[in-house]
Amino acid sequence: MAFSELLVNHGGVVFAAFGVAVAMLSGIGSAIGVGIVGQAASGLIIEEPEKFGRSLVLQLLPGTQGLYGFVISLLVLGKMTLDMSLANGLYLLFACMPVGIVGWFSAIAQGKTAAAGISILAKNEEHSTKGIIYAVMVETYALLAFVMSLILVNAISF
Amino acid sequence: MAIVKMSKFSLFAFDSEMEDLLHELQKFEYVHFVNLEEEEELIEEGLEAVSVPESIVEVNEEISKVRYGLDLLSQYYERSTGIKGMIEGKTTLAFEELEKKALEFDYHPVYDKLRSLAGEISKYDEEAGRLNTRKEELKNWQGLEYPLKDLYSLKQAQVFTGILPAKMKDKLEEELLELEYVYFEVVKEDNKNLYIFALTSKDEGEKLNEILRINAFSNIVLEGEGTPKEELNTIEERLKALKAEKEKTIEKVKELAVYVPELEVLYEYLMNKKLRVAANENFLKTEKVNVIEGYVPTEKVDEFTKIIQKTQKNAYYLEVHDAEEDDPNVPILLKNSKFAETFESLTHMYALPKYNEIDPTPLLAPFYLTFFGMMVADAGYGLIMVIGCFIALKVANLSESQEKFIRFFYYLGYSTIVWGLIYGSVLGGLIPIPGLIDPATEYQRLLIMSIVFGLIHLYFALGIKVYMLIKDGQYLDALFDVGFWYMALSGGIVFLLTMVVPLPAIVKTISKVVLIIGAAGIVLTNGRSAQSTPGKLVAGLYELYGISGYVGDFVSYSRLMALGLSGGFIASSINMIVDMLFDAGVVGIVGGIVVFVGGQLFNIFLSLLGAYVHTIRLTYVEFFGKFYEGGGKAFNIFRSKPKYINLK
Repeated sequence: MAFSELLVNHGGVVFAAFGVAVAMLSGIGSAIGVGIVGQAASGLIIEEPEKFGRSLVLQLLPGTQGLYGFVISLLVLGKMTLDMSLANGLYLLFACMPVGIVGWFSAIAQGKTAAAGISILAKNEEHSTKGIIYAVMVETYALLAFVMSLILVNAISF
Repeated sequence: MAIVKMSKFSLFAFDSEMEDLLHELQKFEYVHFVNLEEEEELIEEGLEAVSVPESIVEVNEEISKVRYGLDLLSQYYERSTGIKGMIEGKTTLAFEELEKKALEFDYHPVYDKLRSLAGEISKYDEEAGRLNTRKEELKNWQGLEYPLKDLYSLKQAQVFTGILPAKMKDKLEEELLELEYVYFEVVKEDNKNLYIFALTSKDEGEKLNEILRINAFSNIVLEGEGTPKEELNTIEERLKALKAEKEKTIEKVKELAVYVPELEVLYEYLMNKKLRVAANENFLKTEKVNVIEGYVPTEKVDEFTKIIQKTQKNAYYLEVHDAEEDDPNVPILLKNSKFAETFESLTHMYALPKYNEIDPTPLLAPFYLTFFGMMVADAGYGLIMVIGCFIALKVANLSESQEKFIRFFYYLGYSTIVWGLIYGSVLGGLIPIPGLIDPATEYQRLLIMSIVFGLIHLYFALGIKVYMLIKDGQYLDALFDVGFWYMALSGGIVFLLTMVVPLPAIVKTISKVVLIIGAAGIVLTNGRSAQSTPGKLVAGLYELYGISGYVGDFVSYSRLMALGLSGGFIASSINMIVDMLFDAGVVGIVGGIVVFVGGQLFNIFLSLLGAYVHTIRLTYVEFFGKFYEGGGKAFNIFRSKPKYINLK
């Protein structure tokens, strides 16, 4: 009995905080993605250290999802109040899901694509921008998810 | 404009005058040879391929010598690095200057000296290597205090030196007791081996040898004069002397590094010479006459003809005519206005147009400019771009491609400023200015704006297709492939709008009719390449299904809003963190400044990169997908691409 009472009275802020955490899940994906590219790039740098700059660009690409998640987290943080209703809290939680989940998996996929782009950089530097473009194709969906989360978070004010 | 008009030429020239001709043509630069060896017709008529002259071997040899010098010396040549290096840039030379400079410099003395110095160095290295092995060997015998000189030539005694496994020690000692005159000494013992010295009378030598042998002894003959310790000392001294001498020689090599710029110029000259000699591969010949075919830009034909006249003292035959529009072999050279040429790299990256297409560069440029600005959309960032690029353009000595690249971002900077002002964003809201749209709250309007931009972009792309079809006289195709699509899309969009926005009923009716005519037209005509009538209809229906692709295209333009927002929000998040730090006293303020500068720079880089590639995507996938095919061959100018200098 006490628990459900607690849930109704204070659940809003708890779930909103949970939402903040969910949005940051995209950071896991970004970390994995950036890591994959970093590993691939290290192999290249042994032989050709002068390609460091360009490989850094490729490594950075899967990092954006984490930032999208961070922005959404901050926005939700700004909307949290101690006495918000359970419904509002749950709403914010679900609003965070697109960026958290899509960001997570898309960053890993993007990391793999960017790591493959490292081999373009290794063998045919002139065309390495094309590798960047391939990786960016993946990001489209993270962007769409970010837009959706953004709209959901901003659509209401409590 | 756009794609440079080409003229095709055929030239018969005497073999004897070829060298002069090619040299002059290389100065002229804008000539592209066709490889005639693939023209079977001509070969069947009895023309022979020109084998590459032997002089190419010579050139290659010279190149490898210069290369050798450069590889060895560049590490000692001090170049300005960092910003200073960027400002100084590469030396710029005209082709004539390059030749003059290269011919003035005789690299042979430098090369010979370098060779002999390198020979000395490797001699020192070799000796040091030998000494080091000996040193390693003797180290184990330091405990032996007899001079090595006469060790093995004693009159009465026979001496054994060598190693045997450590575990044999006890067994060996026991067995040696059997012998009468033996002297035995363990010089060194490690966990694997015993280094032993054994001595016995000549008579007993055989026996001792036998005992040692069954205990897995391996003989080592120590060479040298004094005791191992003395020997080691001499080796050390010699090694030191070698090191000093090597350093001296390296100093001499370093002195030669002043010739690096000359060698670089020479290298460029030789690469061009090689290209010139190798160009012969493209030609066919009879006994005395060479047959050459190729392309020159039409506007340069007069100049080209003059060069031929000048170099051919004997008779020659030259035929020049405009290149055929639909010939897939015509090489492509792009020429655009000073503004649009900075966007050429984008066209190059996708694919060059075919000769009968149009150059999409000036068409994509205004959209690229607009979209890029919208994605970064921060007046502060834009200002940094404009100022940074402006300074770089004024101060630094840039190569042509670098200059274009920086000018590209210089233009984009202005667009970024404009959009930043529209969004009212300066460095993520650091300086509050009133904007036309507040992206944080009016994202709905931004989204609609993005889609409308997408609509304009796509309609424009379809318009280009109409233009190209009409240019070719395919009026019906223009109506079928684009006209009906315009109707279906416009009708559909307006029809959907009437459901959301209250509009007069007549609009709804008209849009419905237009949509239906367009859709019906697509179904009836777009499958016309199929064989049978039902096939045509099915193919037409399938084409109509392509309208879902358009929906995807429109959605794709939402990135215009999304990237602008994400960049803006990240910037304001950084400012938020900085604000919090500023409340924490002096340390906080210092930290805040660091976070602000680092964070904003990071965000600038990220925003620019994101905007650069996402705009490319909109251009390649959505825009080019509607009208552009590409696949033309590049015009190869008759110059080698310079590595160390800028060639004018």
